[in-house]
Amino acid sequence: MNCDWVEKRIPLYFYGELPPAEEESVEAHLHGCAACAREMERQRRMAAALDGRRAEPSPQLLEECRADLLAAIASRPQQRTPKGRWTLFLEAMAATLAAFHRLRQPVGALALVALGFFAARFTGMNPGAAPAPDQTASSEVYSTVRSIQPDDAGGVRIAYDETRRREVSGRMDDQGIQRLLLTAVTGDNPAVRVESVGLLKERAGSSEVRDALLNALLHDSNAGVRMKALEGLKPLTGDPEVRKSLAGALESDDVPAVRMQAVDLLVTHRDDAMVGVLQDVVQREDNDYVRLKCEQALKDWNASVGTF
Amino acid sequence: MNLLRSPEDARDVYQEAFLRVYKNLESFRFDCSFQTWLYRIVTNICLDQLRKRKVRKEESAVMETGDGPLDRMDAFEEEAPQADPERSMWNVELKARIDGALRDLTPRERMVFELRHYQGLRLRDIGETLGTTEEAAKNCLFRATRKMRSVLGDFV
Repeated sequence: MNCDWVEKRIPLYFYGELPPAEEESVEAHLHGCAACAREMERQRRMAAALDGRRAEPSPQLLEECRADLLAAIASRPQQRTPKGRWTLFLEAMAATLAAFHRLRQPVGALALVALGFFAARFTGMNPGAAPAPDQTASSEVYSTVRSIQPDDAGGVRIAYDETRRREVSGRMDDQGIQRLLLTAVTGDNPAVRVESVGLLKERAGSSEVRDALLNALLHDSNAGVRMKALEGLKPLTGDPEVRKSLAGALESDDVPAVRMQAVDLLVTHRDDAMVGVLQDVVQREDNDYVRLKCEQALKDWNASVGTF
Repeated sequence: MNLLRSPEDARDVYQEAFLRVYKNLESFRFDCSFQTWLYRIVTNICLDQLRKRKVRKEESAVMETGDGPLDRMDAFEEEAPQADPERSMWNVELKARIDGALRDLTPRERMVFELRHYQGLRLRDIGETLGTTEEAAKNCLFRATRKMRSVLGDFV
């Protein structure tokens, strides 16, 4: 064993990755060799300097990541999936990431989004959108039989509705396109609703779009759609009507990710009318992030955290 | 985030990783821990991202500003103003050296270093995650450390 042998092992010694026998040899050498001890000290200083360049993701970035993911899952075209898939996913995640408490609720939220998505997907067909002037017809026709009446002569009388699929294209500032998107917001297909809310949120300045977003936030059954609506409402948190709806979502939405996003938006504006809501949430909210955010806002607003 | 040093890339990797987990869940056969499987997916996506950067010869961690190139991460950092200008200059130079040293590593060396130094994984687990041996991971870590020591020179 000489200095060269020790020097080569200093990085692994520092990270505790040497076999026990080699570790002891290096340690003994370092006690007696000033040059190698200096090398070891340089290794420590380099590691400390690298620690100083550690980049942690901001809470805002994590929020955005979660929102993106929820929306992507909700809007993803899926095949019919065996029931056990998500159960398997959640079990595996729960077992492995048990220490990461903050991930539990977003994972639960994902499961809810997916369940909502599949449930909605299997319960009906898209009735189609209203025709617009510059549309082009495609050959796809869907029929729904309303009644069947056999007659005595061996014939049958059938009444049916016919829905023809059409395609329309245009820019977002086109009134016809906007009308179709507003219709799609209340459609049966959650993937279409996510897409339409995602596009409309860029035009939240119009009162019609704002109302559609508020309606989606409070009444849409799909969490991905509600998350998209929240994104669209971000620039409108100064509007009392918007804050009222945010408070509604904060108090009653059953998906923690939605409540987390709602509280983030709600506390951006000081509003004494919201003090009662936040106090109420602090008392009964089981999500740590939401509760702490409310407590912090109440402190910032010089309001008491509890009710007396 | 620490590995890619770009919030945009970190966001893409986050989404891609979780969607890939969901899509490939049926292929998970419990022949390794779920954490290892998850790490494997994330590291593969990150390695692809790092390799793409090397091919494009771009450093997405650096963005152009009116005042010259700026590390994206610096835009997110809030540092107390330095009372000592000399010390401040030293820190700026040290940061630049560290970022340069990290960028000079190969994607694989960068990944092994990230997992060992910043994530605290054992080399045995890193080898399993990257589909290689503990010995290969050990060599990678050694090379990475040597390279950084030579780039950082007298700064540490």
